[in-house]
Amino acid sequence: MSATEPHPWLAGALVPGRFGAAAGEPVRLGTRACELVQVLARRDGDAALQAAIRAAGGPDLPPPGHAAQGERMAALWTQPRGWLIQAGPDAGLARRLADACGPAAAVVEQTHGRCVFTLEGAHARAVLARLCRVDLHPRAFGPGRVAVTPLSEIAAVIHQTGAAPGFDIIVASSYARAVAGMLAAAAAPIGYQVGGDQMGGDQMGGDQMGGDRVD
Amino acid sequence: MIQIACPYCGPRDEAEFAYRGDATVHRPAEEAGFHDYVYARANPRGWHLEWWHHTGGCRAVLKVLRHTATHEVRAVGLPADRPEPPSA
Repeated sequence: MSATEPHPWLAGALVPGRFGAAAGEPVRLGTRACELVQVLARRDGDAALQAAIRAAGGPDLPPPGHAAQGERMAALWTQPRGWLIQAGPDAGLARRLADACGPAAAVVEQTHGRCVFTLEGAHARAVLARLCRVDLHPRAFGPGRVAVTPLSEIAAVIHQTGAAPGFDIIVASSYARAVAGMLAAAAAPIGYQVGGDQMGGDQMGGDQMGGDRVD
Repeated sequence: MIQIACPYCGPRDEAEFAYRGDATVHRPAEEAGFHDYVYARANPRGWHLEWWHHTGGCRAVLKVLRHTATHEVRAVGLPADRPEPPSA
């Protein structure tokens, strides 16, 4: 399974360019192509799950509300004894983790089940604050922090990836188009940029369309 | 709007939670007690121990001690916790 395929639900939802308020620094809105695997430790399975993640180049599984970056993948806490594993293109990651964990954990491929949006820039916090209820102030939230919370009634995982600030917003793929519209509407009064130097390439993704789909 | 301090996620708004009923009822060993177990509920004015499900966040089921008149939340715990209602 290829992680780099663009989400078909997003076709035409985010087009490159600058939109909304024309003055001031825009926020940058895009998507991130990555492998996503949900892991849930079963009873007495925590140690085996941790060992499997570490053997695959992952970090120590982080405590509630946090993310941890490992050599080859990041782990985001999403629920008690449950994490979302995020990695670069790495076909078969879910299968390998499932084989390594055996009955110790439920391992579910989510690469195409979730969609990752990126929101960056000095005003990113203000845009996100229009949509969610958690305290994003640097005193309460910061790089490496994760919040599982509804984003305007849609279940989302918010991960602060950078101090700029930059956020990853992970939602169910079936809601990706709605969330793209929501983020665009929330960012319009500030102004937002899709595509450009840093991101936004993969929703256009002409050269990434050829990924081979197994199953 | 009440706020519930989820032991995992921190303080979150009531809108993220689903109310799951009275946390003080216990499943009876005998069939005779089942009508009350399923249907009979006290409707206290005062401290009440309740189940709240953090459906919009970590999905944990929490035990919450809430005042039904003031909505003050005095304690939030995991299912194994047994918060004591204040005597007042």
